[in-house]
Amino acid sequence: MPEWVPVAMTATINGLAIGLLLFVSAVGLTLIFGMMDVLNLAHGGLFLIGAYLVAESPTWTTFAVGLAAATTIGAVAGGALSLATAPLARRPHLDQALLTLGIALVIAEVLSALYGDDVRPANPPPGLDGAVPILGHQYPTYRLAVIGVGVVLALVFYWMVERTKLGALFRASVADRDMVAAIGIDVRFVRVGVLVVGSALAAVAGFLGGPIYNARPGLDSTILVLALVVVVIGGLGSVRGVLLASLLVGQIESTGRALLPSLASFLLFGALAVTIAVKPKGLLR
Amino acid sequence: MSAVPAGLGYARVSLRSGALAAAIAVTLVAAPFYLAPYATTTLTRMLVFGLFAASLDLLVGLIGLPSLGHAAYLGIGAYTAGWLALHGLTSPLALLLAASASALAGLGAGWISVRSSGIFFLILTLAIGEIAEQIAQSWTAVTGGSNGLYGIPAATVGPLTASDVASLYYYVLGGFGVGMAMLWSVSASPLGAALRGIRDNKTRMRALGYESTRYELFAFVLAAAVAGFAGGLLAAQQRLVTPSDLGFTTSALALFAVVIGGSGRLWAACLGAALIIGVRDVAGLTVNGHGPLLLGLLFIAAVYLMPHGIAGLPRRRK
Amino acid sequence: MLGGAGVAGALSACGNSLTTADNSGDGRRSIKVGLVIPQAGVYTALGIDMKRGWDLWLERHGGKFGDYTVTTVTADEGETPQTGVPAVQKLLQSDQVDVLVGIVSSATALGVKDMVSAAKKLLIVSNAGAGSITGPGRSPYIWRTSFTNAQVAGAMGRYLSTTDIKTAYAIAPDYAAGAEAIEGFTKEFTRGGGTVVGQDKPPFGKTQDYQPYLSRIQASRAQATFCFFGGAESVAFVKQYAQFGLSAKIPIYASGFLTEGGVLAAQGDAALGVKSALHYTSELDNRANNEFRNAYQARYDAVPNCYAVATWDAAAVLHRALKSPIALDGDSLVTALSSLGPIEDSPRGAWSFDGQSPQQEFYLRTVERHGSSLVNAVTGQLGRFGQST
Repeated sequence: MPEWVPVAMTATINGLAIGLLLFVSAVGLTLIFGMMDVLNLAHGGLFLIGAYLVAESPTWTTFAVGLAAATTIGAVAGGALSLATAPLARRPHLDQALLTLGIALVIAEVLSALYGDDVRPANPPPGLDGAVPILGHQYPTYRLAVIGVGVVLALVFYWMVERTKLGALFRASVADRDMVAAIGIDVRFVRVGVLVVGSALAAVAGFLGGPIYNARPGLDSTILVLALVVVVIGGLGSVRGVLLASLLVGQIESTGRALLPSLASFLLFGALAVTIAVKPKGLLR
Repeated sequence: MSAVPAGLGYARVSLRSGALAAAIAVTLVAAPFYLAPYATTTLTRMLVFGLFAASLDLLVGLIGLPSLGHAAYLGIGAYTAGWLALHGLTSPLALLLAASASALAGLGAGWISVRSSGIFFLILTLAIGEIAEQIAQSWTAVTGGSNGLYGIPAATVGPLTASDVASLYYYVLGGFGVGMAMLWSVSASPLGAALRGIRDNKTRMRALGYESTRYELFAFVLAAAVAGFAGGLLAAQQRLVTPSDLGFTTSALALFAVVIGGSGRLWAACLGAALIIGVRDVAGLTVNGHGPLLLGLLFIAAVYLMPHGIAGLPRRRK
Repeated sequence: MLGGAGVAGALSACGNSLTTADNSGDGRRSIKVGLVIPQAGVYTALGIDMKRGWDLWLERHGGKFGDYTVTTVTADEGETPQTGVPAVQKLLQSDQVDVLVGIVSSATALGVKDMVSAAKKLLIVSNAGAGSITGPGRSPYIWRTSFTNAQVAGAMGRYLSTTDIKTAYAIAPDYAAGAEAIEGFTKEFTRGGGTVVGQDKPPFGKTQDYQPYLSRIQASRAQATFCFFGGAESVAFVKQYAQFGLSAKIPIYASGFLTEGGVLAAQGDAALGVKSALHYTSELDNRANNEFRNAYQARYDAVPNCYAVATWDAAAVLHRALKSPIALDGDSLVTALSSLGPIEDSPRGAWSFDGQSPQQEFYLRTVERHGSSLVNAVTGQLGRFGQST
């Protein structure tokens, strides 16, 4: 067996894990944009909150408590964001971007005051901290677990958006927001709900991703840029598009780097530029 | 995308604003005589960043294309001028070549970008900007990699050298005047009116026979050229060009300078740029690393307190 | 515009500092030092270490260099030259400092070269490791108390070539310092008969997941991995190296920054056994270091590291240069620095200037657990290296 086979094989599995994690990170961003027309640049900050909460969590109990805390804090932050952006509903996108970027900078500063500027390590919970052999290469169990959780979340979201009444309302709002309001549906509480759920997901993604990425200043903007890339490649407001784009970007960042390491720096944004140049509204819009 | 109602655009220059402009010009020209050296240096930096932000406003305010990768053209201009200066060309010709290099790059990138719009344009320009930064990082033979081009000799105009604080200031102020005049003349011309028309109602302009894509591409190239010109000034001012000059942060700061200033008005973009540089380089340096927090609070305050940017303040008070 | 440039010549004198006022008479001399350290951005932790080294030296020496009372003005270097250069500019033009100390980013250190030379002020770089800062084309006013990237990596390369390990894989981030490290390692390792069987340069600051590279390292069948990482990247690399089961198969031999400072605790047990080369470790058993370490721990409740030591030593060399009163312009200080001779009482052991950058002993360090914490234990001496070796 030539040496590149196990390299490509583990990289592909890893791309799946990274891609699904990216899906959980980015799906909230696309939901919020689709429903509210708000480009939430504070999304990465919420991810970082989650990552800090999983750091130094040695047992399953602390893991569970931390996960609940991340979900709650994310949801509350989402509620606060909906209050903060409500007065800007009729303002240009750039104003909302400016506001949420300002909030993102403040969140980063608060986290740095709370947790310091050193890296906070995060480890998988007991039992998931080992590795399993794949074609002679060890692969961490925790990343396989992330694949499992990611698949479940992706299925749940797919079902919610494509098969439920709430999902239909969401899709209708993405297609024509004014029409939904015109036919007398009060979308206010749905909008708040979407921001709450989307923000909670960002924090949960940070919590799940913590043991892979660790918690550190700067991780927020890294994740934000990746999530923006995914959301745009997928087509804004499309959950299926985000899933497809996440898996694609996961593979680019993993298999792409393993096979074309000298081009690593150009792969991600090159793929983004090509996608939008060819499909100006993303893959699935 | 603009916060400025149609009719209050660039073209109208009243007597009062003419007098105001003259007063500002005099204040700027006299600056080194009443400012301390570091204040002059900061003002120099503000002028460079102000011209850069104004060039971006041509895209954002005039034609409604918000770019998040405009620093690419600032950087290409800066690298071009820096490289030329290191190879012996320190005259203002280097500024023109810098502008040309950026215009050329803008032609290629614009050709791809102007087909998309809104958020997609925003992210596509971000991607192209990131690629440009990566090239600056990787093409070590020309760009010096992550350490950048350093030891750039001072710019010269005939027998004069822009090496000390004040002469450098005048060199940059001169360039700033030329660049602003160019932006102004375009925005005040019939062409500028057509660009605003496309911003406000693309469909209608198409129906009137304007090929909007071609106009958008023209605006993109022009904005890139002026950004490149500003980049040439940047190389002369910093005597150093590094990849961060064309990075995401630079692009984002310029975009938010335009928004804070009030998009659609060139002078407002300059004010927004001055405010941001002031917060980052004057206040930021003395608050023990809380510069980003200051910027964040500034952004939040600006959104709520100045819904039409600095440009909207006088009208609001009436 | 042209007329203005003429006027400017007359004004330029304002840019020079006038600090001789207090320093002419008897014992009331003072010196103003600009400390340029990152206080925001990814290098903030380094900035804290550097400031501690600086403050501690002054505290323990009555706040004086020789007879000169020291005033320190701190400015935030930030992450890039975009913030670092204005910081230096502010210290020179607005605060009118006599001496500059600090600087983490090599791009900033190189970028301020002309400014520092024009002002004729001394700059002591106490971190940035680019060879060219004090190499050919250097400014006579820029000195360094830290290291060069190639020096550290070369020490590891030379050592590794004397062991049974004949093949190595080299990995470092894709930026100037990473390239200098790989080059420095490769030069010494191959000179001693070793072969670098593969190398990778993951995008700097944009790589969170090293899995693709770890697979490639394993597939290369190299006997050892040489790496150069710092900060958050070193934590990610070391932890993932262990998670993917590589630490049991292919040992890491690194530039010492990989396990130096706050990152070591963050790496945790994943770092056990990692070997690295550096000119300092808190475990050095010499009198100067024992005193330094105890004082540092008592004052900051933290273990000192090479970043704190380099800035401590910047203060120490300024103290020596000002033993007898001299003018504070760059030329006088440079003359004084040139004749310093060996600095015997540094926590890192005796060192001296090789040109304008240290010639110093390098130590082989192995990460071990001592009680509840991890340390870089001294497991060998690698000999003295200058910047030009």
